[in-house]
Formats: sequence, structure tokens, C-alpha cells
Amino acid sequence: MKEKGIKQYLQTLQRELWFHGLFNSDILTELESHLLESMERGIRQGLSSEQAEQQALERFGSVRVVVSTFEKERMNSMQKILIAIAIIAGLFFAYVDSRPTWDDTGILAGAILLTCGLIAVIGYQRPWLLALAVGAWIPLRGILVTNNYGSILALIIAFIGAYAGWALRFGIRKTFLFS
Amino acid sequence: MIGEALKGHLDLLLLAVLAEGSAHGYAVIESLRQRSGGVFDLPEGTIYPALHRLESQGWLRSRWQEDLPRRRRVYELTSKGRQILSKRREEWRRFSKAINATAGI
Repeated sequence: MKEKGIKQYLQTLQRELWFHGLFNSDILTELESHLLESMERGIRQGLSSEQAEQQALERFGSVRVVVSTFEKERMNSMQKILIAIAIIAGLFFAYVDSRPTWDDTGILAGAILLTCGLIAVIGYQRPWLLALAVGAWIPLRGILVTNNYGSILALIIAFIGAYAGWALRFGIRKTFLFS
Repeated sequence: MIGEALKGHLDLLLLAVLAEGSAHGYAVIESLRQRSGGVFDLPEGTIYPALHRLESQGWLRSRWQEDLPRRRRVYELTSKGRQILSKRREEWRRFSKAINATAGI
């Protein structure tokens, strides 16, 4: 995508930041201020306003590069929170499964599948670790306490959910973003 | 290649530039470019996510300067940021010394 001027660049940037859930008016003000300053500097150096505008945009980087960098930073900071949520959910499922009054395996399997899928879609980047964080607790308890090897099914379901969510996120990004 | 290598050390470089005094994003990037003799020339827009992250980690703080032709966000190092910078500098000294010794530079 090629932006012709700073105004158009900022409009595209605003739209993409919105789309990625990153929009914040302060960010846009800050980036606009940078671009205008860069353009003014180009003009002071003897460029025409069109040349200075183009140079400012080239130096700044494409919308895609800038938004990806913002997204990467956000993802890096979100990873610890997401894996903590996954561990808490996994421990909760193991607790529910351990209750003698609980006998609805289907609901638990669905909950594991959905939890893994949802966390992967939100953006957890290592599906194998996510599957272990959610799905390892039930078989761990099942094998160690009751010698129930069938409980490994919970881990398999967690892997399916995590990789399905990861693939869905990959598909969404490829289809809709920066199109 | 330099761009990729630079990304791993961007925190150290940004903190070092801001250790000289508070500055807005454009000035930080200009300083990086000038101090490196033009070698560190990342797309300028990619510096901001790193500045925001350093702020959320408490290593930088920012304020808006309003008394200019336009609003500018100015960053400065916090005391925690100074401690991190000193630690990162020491790590880099040891790392580069080891590389130089190994590579015979």
C-alpha cells in the first residue's frame, strides 16, 4: 500500500491501528507531530514540500511496518498475562474434574477446547505451551492419583483447540489485515 | 542486517540517548542517527512502540509539551531507567569484550 501524503498516511494508520485494537489518539498525535517535523526539516534543507513530505514518509516506514511493530510490542507484553490465564483455567478444569459429583466430560472437553482456541486467537504465540498450560493438569492428576491414562484425552483436546485457534488467527490476519 | 542486529539492542540505545537529557521522539531518532554516523537508520515510526514499552516498564516517563507550534511528547529517563542503563552498559561491555577477544578484533 502506498500513501501519497502525510494526511492520507495518517488516515490509513488510524484505520489500521483501530483494526488492531491499538488506536489511541495520543499515539496518532505523536506520530503526526513527528512526520510534520520531519517534513519541515526537509523543506529547510531545500526540498520542495512534495519532496519533503515524501522523504518524511519514506523515513518513517510504511503503515504496515509501523503497525506490525506496535502489535509485536503489545503481543510481547501480553504473553505472560495470557499464559497465566491459561494455567489458572487449566487448574480450575482439573479441580472441577476431580470433584466426585462432576460427571459431564463433554462440557469439560468443550471448555478446554474453547479456552485454548480463544487464548490462541487473542494472540498467544506458542500453541504447544498453551495446550500444556491448559490441558496438562487433568492427565497429571489422573495418572498420578487414579492411574487413569484415559485422562490424556484432555491434553489432546487442548492441543486441538490451541492449534485450531492459532490457525484461525493466522487465517484472519492473512485474509483481512493490510488488504 | 544492521537493522535486525540493532533491534536486539534498541533499549540500550534509546536509554543511552535519553540519559543525555529529555527529548521527543524525532530528536531521539536524529540523535541515534547522528551518534552512529548514520549506521543506525531504522524506519523512524518503529521507534515509538519501543519508547512506549520502555515507558510502561517504568524506565521512561513522558509529558506533553504544549507551548510549541504543535504538541510534542517528551521522554525522560526515570531512576529505574538509569539503573537499567548502567546494567545494560556493563553487560554490553562484557559481551563486546568477549566477542572481540574471540574474533581477534
